[in-house]
Amino acid sequence: MTTIVRTQGLVKRYDRTLAVAGVDLEIEEGEIFGLVGPNGAGKTTTLRILATLLEPTAGEAEVAGWSLARNSNDVRRVLGFMPDVFGVYDDMRVWEYLDFFGRCYGLSAPARKRIIGDLLELVDLADKRDTYVQGLSRGMQQRLCLAHALVHDPKVLLLDEPASGLDPRARVELRELLRELRSLGKTILISSHILPELEELCTSVAIVDRGRVLASGRIADIEKRLRVGAVLRARVIAEGEALEAARVWFSGQAEVASAAILPDGLVELGFRGDEVQTAALLRDAISSGLSIASFSRAASDLEELFLQVTGQDEPAPQEAVA
Amino acid sequence: MMARVLARRPHVSMPGITAILVKELRGRMRGRRAFISVTIYTLIVAGFAWMVGRILEESARQNFGFSPQYQSASIGRGIFVAIMFLQTLMISVLAPASTAGTISGERERQTLDLLAVTPISSVAIVVGKLFSSLTWVFMLILASVPVSALVFVYGGVAPDDLLRGYFMLFVTAIAFGALGIFFSALIRRSGAATGLTFVSVIVATVGLTFIWVFLRIGEANNLDANTLAARRPPEALLFLNPFVSQADVACGAEGGTGSWCSIIADITGTTQAFAQPVGGVGIAPGGFGGGQNCVSDGNTTTCQAIAVPVGGGVVPVPQPIVGKDIVANDVVTGPESLRDRFWPRAALTLLLISIGFTAASVQLVTPTRRWRPSLPGFLRRLRPRRSA
Repeated sequence: MTTIVRTQGLVKRYDRTLAVAGVDLEIEEGEIFGLVGPNGAGKTTTLRILATLLEPTAGEAEVAGWSLARNSNDVRRVLGFMPDVFGVYDDMRVWEYLDFFGRCYGLSAPARKRIIGDLLELVDLADKRDTYVQGLSRGMQQRLCLAHALVHDPKVLLLDEPASGLDPRARVELRELLRELRSLGKTILISSHILPELEELCTSVAIVDRGRVLASGRIADIEKRLRVGAVLRARVIAEGEALEAARVWFSGQAEVASAAILPDGLVELGFRGDEVQTAALLRDAISSGLSIASFSRAASDLEELFLQVTGQDEPAPQEAVA
Repeated sequence: MMARVLARRPHVSMPGITAILVKELRGRMRGRRAFISVTIYTLIVAGFAWMVGRILEESARQNFGFSPQYQSASIGRGIFVAIMFLQTLMISVLAPASTAGTISGERERQTLDLLAVTPISSVAIVVGKLFSSLTWVFMLILASVPVSALVFVYGGVAPDDLLRGYFMLFVTAIAFGALGIFFSALIRRSGAATGLTFVSVIVATVGLTFIWVFLRIGEANNLDANTLAARRPPEALLFLNPFVSQADVACGAEGGTGSWCSIIADITGTTQAFAQPVGGVGIAPGGFGGGQNCVSDGNTTTCQAIAVPVGGGVVPVPQPIVGKDIVANDVVTGPESLRDRFWPRAALTLLLISIGFTAASVQLVTPTRRWRPSLPGFLRRLRPRRSA
């Protein structure tokens, strides 16, 4: 695997506020990389620097081997960007919108025609070809914006909060679309503060807060490194005393920190073990005669990870954005 | 080798401009909008020309003693001047109005970022937007040509006068359009950008002209010791006022003499000499008396004589007479004395200012690397680009 996006000590300062305070990222080709953090953590600023829309105060960044500072035009050719807040042109039909951006990238007329057809198929807007852009729903506009970022077949896609403002159905569609893009070999850098959305999608994440990367890498690796506990929930087919007995059994097992019965009858476990130990716990529970209908991690791993990481007593950078 | 390099890196500056042009024109020319705007514009010009023509014909009917040819020619000139002034007024409003919202509008609609991450240059964005807005204005101007050409029926205006007038209209559109683009790039809100553009247009035209008039009156009695002519405020103050340039064009149509020319003469510091023809074609003896006026630039004294027709007949054509007094029976022939004294310099100034405003807009649109020119493409290719 080769590194396709690399940043070193990226700093962006606005007057007295430090939006990005030294971000180091390494993103491998073909990854879906999540930039996780609360609002104001510096995610958008980092993405806008990578998209050549902002100049960093200090630090360097590279996309596909091109330096942002020296070869910004080459970077733009390998990059597709979808900002968090984007507008649409009035007075343009869907195909004209894509045709316009195709022209911006210098594509020939036959190439544009072919690509527009393919992209509209990909984002499922083929039947909206002649609709005016402002007449599309929010989710459709989001997909059109994604299509526009793909017009020039970029290697890297930067998506800033792509699912914000989308209804659940549109979110699912977007997720499917991103998976499809990954299978086409695109590297996707995606920022979000909605953690479950990223968890299902991302191969790696970077957790950022107050302009700094607190942890980055594969979710499982970070978890291992930080020894983060997980919450497990088991539905045991039992009632009353039998259920209580099951709880007691669970609380006696290794790596189980706590066990409680929830009002809906689920047994909730605080568990410190990794995936292998989780599997072992389930196996032991079944072999000890418990009838288990479901057994799963309750809270989002990423959420847990995020709270764990941001809860650490990191010295906050001075003048940091609140 | 070069061909291969070019094939690998298509130069997108021109396609960039084309992309913006195509997009903008698609929006502007869609449906009946363009048709309606052209129709209204042409109707206004034609209606105004017709009314001015009627007024001039009526007043000519009450003027006896001039030949019909002379009267017809002055009606033609009157209509021509009226059309040019009206169009200057309309273009001074329409050109900045069409550009002042273009870039701020992109910012407001949050579409400028989408453009800025494509490889098209800021130059292409600004120039494309300026051209596409101006294409619409140019279309209006060109649509009025057939109406203006009707003045040829009356005479008094040569085709090259029409060309001069239209050239100034185009220059006016470019200059005020570039001003609008500049404020549009500078200010984030379209409303404020449009407002400031119009304030600037008014300052450039009415404001500076008022200052010129103020200074002119202040210096009216401050005579130059050598030439005894009044000192004049710099004519450059009026370069931004396209109406003055149109007055110069009108002066050209008058053959370099007449009321419009006297305005230009006053502005440019060329003193006209009015002489009564005595016994046919000739000029009364000179001096600083009633016969002629002269100006001196230190080395040579330029005297100009303009004959006004008395009781009809042929209008003697004036000529500048350099370094000598005009004596009786000098035959006055030769080129028009006051043609093209003002508008070419005004047009050049306006075009230079337009380039300045466009360049400033390009810098304002560029998200990064402001005021740092990047190397031209062929030099950049020589440098090692891959850092990994």
